[in-house]
Amino acid sequence: MKLFFALLLLVGTVRAEDVLHLYNWNNYLAEETLRRFEQRCQCRVKQDYYSDNEEMLAKLEAGAVGYDLLVPTGNAVESLIRRDALRPLDKTKLPHLANVKPEFRNPWFDPDNRYSVPYASTVTLIGYNVEKLRALDLPTDTWALIFEPRHLEKIRGKVTVLNSQRELMAAAMKYLGYSVQEADLARWDEAKRLILRAKPYWATFSNSTYIKDLAVGNIWVAHGYSNDMFRAREDAKAAGRPFTIGFTTPKEGAVLAVDSYVLHQSGRRPDLAHRFIDFMLEGENAADVSNAIGAGNTNAAATPHIRPEIAREPAIFPPPTTMARLEMLRDFDPKMRRTLSRLWTEIKVR
Amino acid sequence: MRKPGFAIWAASLAAYAFLYVPLAVVVLFSFNDSVLNAQWVGFTTSWYRKLMSDGDMLRAAANSIGIALLSAAIATALGTMAGLAMHRHKFRWLPFLVLTPVAMPEILLGVSLLLFFRQVLDLTLGFASILIAHITFSIGFVAIIVRARLAGMDESIFEAARDLGASPWRTFRRITLPLILPALVAGFLMSFTLSIDDFVITFFVAGVGVTTLPLQIYSMIKVAVTPEVNAISTLLMALTLTLIVIASRFAPDVLKAKA
Amino acid sequence: MTSSEKLTRWIVTAPPTVFLLVFFLAPALIVVAAAFREPGEFGGLAPWSGLSLEAYRFLATDVIYVEILLRSFAIALLTTLACIVIAYPLAWLIARSPKKRRDLLVLLVILPFASNFLVRIYAWIMLLGPLGLLYTPTAVIAGMVYVHLPFMVLPLYTNLEKHDPALLEAAQDLGATAWTRFWRITFPLSLPGLFSGSALVFIPVLGMFAVPELLGGTGDILIGNLIKEQFLDNRDWPLGSALSIVLTIAVLLLAGLASWGARRGLHGTEAVS
Repeated sequence: MKLFFALLLLVGTVRAEDVLHLYNWNNYLAEETLRRFEQRCQCRVKQDYYSDNEEMLAKLEAGAVGYDLLVPTGNAVESLIRRDALRPLDKTKLPHLANVKPEFRNPWFDPDNRYSVPYASTVTLIGYNVEKLRALDLPTDTWALIFEPRHLEKIRGKVTVLNSQRELMAAAMKYLGYSVQEADLARWDEAKRLILRAKPYWATFSNSTYIKDLAVGNIWVAHGYSNDMFRAREDAKAAGRPFTIGFTTPKEGAVLAVDSYVLHQSGRRPDLAHRFIDFMLEGENAADVSNAIGAGNTNAAATPHIRPEIAREPAIFPPPTTMARLEMLRDFDPKMRRTLSRLWTEIKVR
Repeated sequence: MRKPGFAIWAASLAAYAFLYVPLAVVVLFSFNDSVLNAQWVGFTTSWYRKLMSDGDMLRAAANSIGIALLSAAIATALGTMAGLAMHRHKFRWLPFLVLTPVAMPEILLGVSLLLFFRQVLDLTLGFASILIAHITFSIGFVAIIVRARLAGMDESIFEAARDLGASPWRTFRRITLPLILPALVAGFLMSFTLSIDDFVITFFVAGVGVTTLPLQIYSMIKVAVTPEVNAISTLLMALTLTLIVIASRFAPDVLKAKA
Repeated sequence: MTSSEKLTRWIVTAPPTVFLLVFFLAPALIVVAAAFREPGEFGGLAPWSGLSLEAYRFLATDVIYVEILLRSFAIALLTTLACIVIAYPLAWLIARSPKKRRDLLVLLVILPFASNFLVRIYAWIMLLGPLGLLYTPTAVIAGMVYVHLPFMVLPLYTNLEKHDPALLEAAQDLGATAWTRFWRITFPLSLPGLFSGSALVFIPVLGMFAVPELLGGTGDILIGNLIKEQFLDNRDWPLGSALSIVLTIAVLLLAGLASWGARRGLHGTEAVS
């Protein structure tokens, strides 16, 4: 065993050069896709995971150096660009860039796609145990399910919400009929009170454990990302659980997240990073993100490869009426950020 | 002297059950043939096989062992010096400096080291930062063990050596060192175990590319809880168990050292 | 003292001292300083621009932060009491057993400690999930007790082993009941061990975040979780530092109390014997 480790260390150091360090959301890249890329480039991809943009930004702020690729959401991309933390793209290395759907080109957070290539989109919504909620006669298409005590008392201790200041407060704002970019502090305070009223009924704050909790049946309702709910549904089906997991975009509206690949300044292999991005821009590989992960697709060439039942999923590919009610998060100025983050601390503590 | 009665035995057995049942469950379910690992489905050793081919896990294990060996070695050296100093030369401030890292909640050590590495040293977090952090909290443990051992020894032998003209180095090499050797071994093993096991402090000072086993397990618990977690847990248990048994052979007092 | 002995004194004391001054004391002082800074625009610390009491003011303006500290104290206290109740019979058994069996019994207490800390928490996630007790305060206490029990057993049995059985026999001969014997003799004599064990449980529990995070519910956030969130989620390092200092002061006061209690207990012991 010691010999094995020694050999591994040796092999590890010899091939240390051909490693791509990817910092990605958990459950956002299928194993098969990764394997195919590793075969193609004869290199190794080392993935670290985060389950919230804030977590990723905090880790970078705390000195995490050496990631080649990150997959931030739009507002985080903007923040990283302002911070000069990103390497501009070398578009000559990205022949398949034309595959990107026109509506995702030239985004507000990165004019002209100087730094980012869109990868996938998700909606933050509600996932639920279909049978349990039907039996309890609870609505599944509204945020009221997680904010109103009259619903919550039937599912006390069986609900989880995202451990994310932006996401949870955005859901509250949407429910109250406000914008997620609201400037009026009084309205944020209202959202805070709404959350605090519902908090005693919730089991816990969770960014990733809810996937398994839903699939196993410990939790009946979860506030989370559409691709995670897709995974929970597949897992429950594969394990032969006696229930199904459904997920719906609430009618009041929700947060839309477009996640993009960016190169971090401190990455050591920008060449491998470009190869990876171009690989993911090919139609077949891009389709994996919808077929295997259940995320919305930003790639036009992927469309013929996407399975019809997934293309029809309204929570994964929202129809225009839903799209109109979706908002993307944008970063606030530092003063507002600090006020909100202290509001969040208060929410956690009370 | 009256032997402990039935009530005491019953309460003790309940306590032991409390200690062992959860771990038994972990070990048992490492053989569960089910990805979700919610109910027992069937027996399989496939998770152990998957573990052996899991590159990330093996690299984390290699890192953990490498860091543990190196930090234990350095901590033993520094801790022995500290233990000797605390026993012989009663500086008032020394016990405070050496023992406080042991007493402090780990999160405070983690946070302070993170701030120090980033703000003052502008050090890239990685192998070095983890190594330094582990040495810092291990020194105190080794010092306690060494001091306890010295406290139990007869001082006259050192006085005799001095009277006979032996230099301090000679006294150390020929007399002190052999006498405290069991404490050194126990201290080394204790530091090794603490390093392999550490989660909180490592969590704050680990960087990119250097994961340790506890961090890997933590990310697995949050992200992908398959029986593979149980499998690595079982193996880790077996490893540290062996080390603690060996340590207790060398210095039974190590178990009382914290008292 | 000869000069060579003086030299030896410094050779032996210097290396660990320097190491700890640099990597323990200096970082601790940095935390103190960081609490007086402003948060950076993207997180971390802003460039130095004079002292700012903003972080402390934020903590002082709302009683909720005192509440969370008190809640952490309460959990730590409950954990300590639970540990005492479970550990006492066990420690008694070990102390009263013949030497050979005693070593085995102690080893059996230590062995679960040989498993990784996260594994021990994970074991409870596995057990409590199906029972529906996950994400509750009970789960948090169970996890805390499980992780810290050996720290109560060891000092306690070390102390109990030193009690002179003759005292108890004499009391029995004089007609004292089992309860009286325990409460008037054994318990007071065991106080130093109880104080040591309590300190070894109480103080680490105060700073824990992994147990509440993995096992606890929305109302079980402790001060350790708050600190961790400031550094690794909110990126508000001054606030995190200020909270750390509050925790440090609490810990230092407790440690002082514990050592006072241990010493006083010892005097009591001397008086009896």
